[in-house]
Amino acid sequence: MTVDMSQFYEVFFDEAEELLAEAERLLLNIDVDSPDIEELNAIFRAAHSIKGGAATFGFMDMAGITHVLENLLDKIRKQEMALTMEHVDAFLAAKDVIKMQLDGHRHGSEVDAAQVDEISATLKALSEGKTEAPAPAAAAPAAPEPAIQGSTPAPALTATAEEQASGIQVYDVGLPEVTEKDLDNLKDELALLGEVAIYKRGDKHALLVKTDSSADDIISICSFIVDPDALVVKVAGAEAPAAEPAPAAEVAAEAAPADAAPVEADLGYGFFDSEPVSADAKPAQAASADGKVAVAEEVGYGFFTNSGEEPQEEGYGFFAPFKPHPDAPKAQMIGDDNAAAALAKASSEAEAKAATNAPPAEVKEDRRAQSRRESDKPAAPQNAESSSIRVGIEKVDQLINLVGELVITQAMIEQRVNALDPTDNEGLINSVSQLTRNTRDLQESVMSIRMMPMDFVFSRFPRMVRDLAGKLGKKVEFVTNGATTELDKSLIERIVDPLTHLVRNSVDHGIEKPEVRRELGKSESGTLTLSAAHKGGSIVIEVTDDGGGLNRDRILAKAASNGLPVNESMSDSEVYSLIFAPGFSTAEVVTDVSGRGVGMDVVKRNISAMGGNIEIRSALGYGTTISISLPLTLAILDGMSVSLGKSLYVVPLNLIVETLQPRAEDLKTVTGEGLMVHVRGEYLPIIALHALFNHPTEITAPTDGVLLILEADGKKSALFVDRLVGQQQVVIKSLETNFKRIPGVSGATIMGDGSVALILDVPAITQMGQTTNYITGGRSFADQNYSNLQNHINA
Amino acid sequence: MTTTETTNNHGGNNAGSMKTAAGEYLTFVLGNEQYGIEILKVQEIRGYDAVTQIANMPPFIKGVINLRGKIVPIVDLRIKFKLGKVEYNEFTVVIILNLNGRIVGIVVDGVSDVRELREEHLREVPSLVTRIDTKYIVGLATIEQEMLILVDIEKLMTSNEMELMDAVVH
Repeated sequence: MTVDMSQFYEVFFDEAEELLAEAERLLLNIDVDSPDIEELNAIFRAAHSIKGGAATFGFMDMAGITHVLENLLDKIRKQEMALTMEHVDAFLAAKDVIKMQLDGHRHGSEVDAAQVDEISATLKALSEGKTEAPAPAAAAPAAPEPAIQGSTPAPALTATAEEQASGIQVYDVGLPEVTEKDLDNLKDELALLGEVAIYKRGDKHALLVKTDSSADDIISICSFIVDPDALVVKVAGAEAPAAEPAPAAEVAAEAAPADAAPVEADLGYGFFDSEPVSADAKPAQAASADGKVAVAEEVGYGFFTNSGEEPQEEGYGFFAPFKPHPDAPKAQMIGDDNAAAALAKASSEAEAKAATNAPPAEVKEDRRAQSRRESDKPAAPQNAESSSIRVGIEKVDQLINLVGELVITQAMIEQRVNALDPTDNEGLINSVSQLTRNTRDLQESVMSIRMMPMDFVFSRFPRMVRDLAGKLGKKVEFVTNGATTELDKSLIERIVDPLTHLVRNSVDHGIEKPEVRRELGKSESGTLTLSAAHKGGSIVIEVTDDGGGLNRDRILAKAASNGLPVNESMSDSEVYSLIFAPGFSTAEVVTDVSGRGVGMDVVKRNISAMGGNIEIRSALGYGTTISISLPLTLAILDGMSVSLGKSLYVVPLNLIVETLQPRAEDLKTVTGEGLMVHVRGEYLPIIALHALFNHPTEITAPTDGVLLILEADGKKSALFVDRLVGQQQVVIKSLETNFKRIPGVSGATIMGDGSVALILDVPAITQMGQTTNYITGGRSFADQNYSNLQNHINA
Repeated sequence: MTTTETTNNHGGNNAGSMKTAAGEYLTFVLGNEQYGIEILKVQEIRGYDAVTQIANMPPFIKGVINLRGKIVPIVDLRIKFKLGKVEYNEFTVVIILNLNGRIVGIVVDGVSDVRELREEHLREVPSLVTRIDTKYIVGLATIEQEMLILVDIEKLMTSNEMELMDAVVH
């Protein structure tokens, strides 16, 4: 049966990415000294699931590395090994490598093979070196022994205690009757796992496989060629306990003398000298006083129903329900006969050679070693009661659009109903008001589908901060607040880059080195806080550090030397926002002014493109806060609708500082032109919307209308319109879908009555206002300004 | 508001090149002339109502309307080609075109009919000077002694002179 796996690729990629992120989160939180066993299990499960999925889809490189990772994790989780910081570092690095491989498969991006090998080696080294390996009880290579009749001598293929401790075992694989060709194939396949030797046992063949893969893996591979039910795999040098019927054709080396190295017992038939590997035995087994060798855990692992510490192991383990071969008990008896004969020789031989233990051979680890058997298994979600579903974003958007329509239609109905006589139509009016409530609730729920917690963004920073601080030799404590604050998905995705930049800047340039901090009387480790909170209709994300702060004088000096128009009387916030100027920072200035600057203009541009603002607060010597305020969603805008003639326009509420009706004495001109208004000590330019938009209206004197004080790009101006109409949330519609960009207009929206209102692009209008002369005095501006505007538009 | 969804159940026979396009055409009146546009470009026909003006647009761009949640620009071809009397009342007709996904409305004097044109109806366009650049006219057709001017509406509406799209650098 062939199933086209590619259709599930995306699911796997998504899932793997989530699992990696989850594993990373857990790793970062883990307490090295007393790790929570549940967390270790969770990390293990993540690695395990990725491995399974990767193998299923044939991404053997990923499966390979996850396998090594899994082995090490398994040891720690079973408390055979203590967790150290080195482990955590290695795991994190491994996570990165797996992510790289994942991206490689997903996007065709490059995978650094050297890095893969390196981490694989690191993990293996860790899993070998860090065990409390007891005295090696391994046997040395032995001389060939005479073959038992009908059998070829069993090759000596053994693992040293160290190897064993790191998960390398020698498995004895009893085969059913197979053809020579199959045998060769099997050998080749198994060679991918490690070293393989074939010998003949009775009229059947058996294989010795030295590998760090599990019995499952061997069975998986063999199952391509032979019936897995007829296979018998066990750890060589180990004997199945009585409870476990030894499988067919298995040579169960029982009753090794107490003083014999039990290691060799399994082999029974003797040894070849050629293999420079020593026999394997669990340390505990070696010490086993009764000379019986306990079964290595690995045998039970998956082969028989595992007592399994974790439930997920069972579903996954595929082999759990594996029934021992029915003939097994009988076969064991037969095996025993053969074994017994060889036993005495073998054991003594083994003992003799034990001292001349060969150095642990490097068993080649192979990426493809992964349980191919798993490829039969769909990439099932690891827990059935998954609490989320995956839905295409376009479906959600469509839903949001439809609900948007519904809301508009509902508003239209409401408007008509309100015109009816309330006494005659009481029932209808009540029903409609209920519809109104329901529609609102529906809209809110639908909008929340796109909302995601900020944690999605924040969770990637602890790692980055940790790495960066380590690299820079700084101590940074990373704190997040308000990670549950929700933000529209599209914004979440777009905020990542700017935020990464800001966090990196804070660690790099904001927080000082420990010795500097000590001299300044601060605690050695700096604090970097990332917080998110709702404030009015927007979300405010802040990056705060308690580092050196911005140096106003340095920034001014630098700005002046860059030819920027600056003077001493500029406010702090104006000075700080200079660092957003393109090309403002150069390397030495960056460090001098405690650094913000590299690409800050890009950050600023990104934030503005999202409809947000960025602001800096800083105190020299005490730290810096960079505050980003964003709209909750790109699709909905809190707006103030204003009237101009017969039209309505919507002004984004977050840009309105205040509204006022000016008194005649507050209006000033410069050279008879350029009208300004005097508000609280500031002179603000007045931009007349009707002049700018060439829009007929009755109200042409600012004293008859309303001035909206707007702030955009750090500059204030006063927009002159006829009337304020009301504040409301509007759904932003693009004009460009069917039309084109219009200067001064950022989009359109549909009002309650079904008519279209344009949303003003405040920064653009402020700019246009500067290039358009507004001449006071009740004249017709239209003709005069039209050409100006045209010039502006064409420019 | 009069909205008529046109049906396209005779479609499919206009798959040929634009130049000798036989097929079904929606015919409309501008001034004293009959024009024809490919029926498959027409999404619907509706009345003219609440159009939101847009600042600093040429006079023939009337503004935008809300077409079931979509913001659709409306162009008055009578103004653009200086044909017919420009007045807006309950009989004013807007043809909503769907040009490759972009939706645009055009105001005309009136919609007449849907006509099936075969090769024998089609005539070459003589070279002459008109307000509509002849490059947008794919042909002339004679039906029942009347001349029908066949317009490549997609080419016309997406041209720079209609100012309906962001200027494309060619």
